[in-house]
Amino acid sequence: MSMVVYGLCFLLFLIGLYCIVVKRNLLKIVIGLALLEYSVNLFIVILGYKWEGHAPIIKEGAKAWIYVDPLPQALVLTAIVIGLATLTLMISLCMRLYEKYGTLDITEIRKLKG
Amino acid sequence: MTVIVKIIVRFISAMIMLFGAYLVLHGHLTPGGGFAGGVILASGFVLLTLAYGKEMVLKKLSFTAASIMESLGALLFLMIAVAGFIGGYFFLNVLPKGEPFKLLSAGIIPLCNISIGLKVSGALFLVFVVLSSMSVKGKRGK
Repeated sequence: MSMVVYGLCFLLFLIGLYCIVVKRNLLKIVIGLALLEYSVNLFIVILGYKWEGHAPIIKEGAKAWIYVDPLPQALVLTAIVIGLATLTLMISLCMRLYEKYGTLDITEIRKLKG
Repeated sequence: MTVIVKIIVRFISAMIMLFGAYLVLHGHLTPGGGFAGGVILASGFVLLTLAYGKEMVLKKLSFTAASIMESLGALLFLMIAVAGFIGGYFFLNVLPKGEPFKLLSAGIIPLCNISIGLKVSGALFLVFVVLSSMSVKGKRGK
């Protein structure tokens, strides 16, 4: 059962990779990078999941609950924050490129000087 | 935007911001916390911007106010961390812990959540405003 979920994560990863390698529009490449990142985050969170586990917060009256692993969640939270910052940077760079060249097609953005 | 969107957003955005504040304040008791609550707070402002336009929202939360909010969040977090040196080391929980499972408990953790919420909501709102007000004059259709 869980292998199917890992396979679906890998499928999402492949969709993102396809987006980056094949597409020519810069915004679509940015979307592909975001998909790639989300698939990796999803994979790490699923690694720490336990069947019928609760959120790793101690509640009143809880004796012997099964908790999911909190460490991947903390890691992924940090990764999401950094991913947000890099996404913003990429979008602003795309906007500057569009302002300079008038297009987002990477085959037409050739001049790297001045 | 149309009248329907404006009226709906007027109801919804207040509830979104209330939920964000709830997530920030209950970060040490339930799932959620500073980052998630801050993102939801900022998304309330983004929704207002999309419905009513930038001028109306910038009257409510101006550019300088948002940037002050962001800097204040980072500074508060640093000050809370340094305040641990009173007892011995960095990030020490110096405040009284209180009774578990109550709102006023867990020492410095709610304060950390509030400062992170301020930082994240201010920063995300600023990112949206700056990206949307950046003028793009491309050479269309060459």
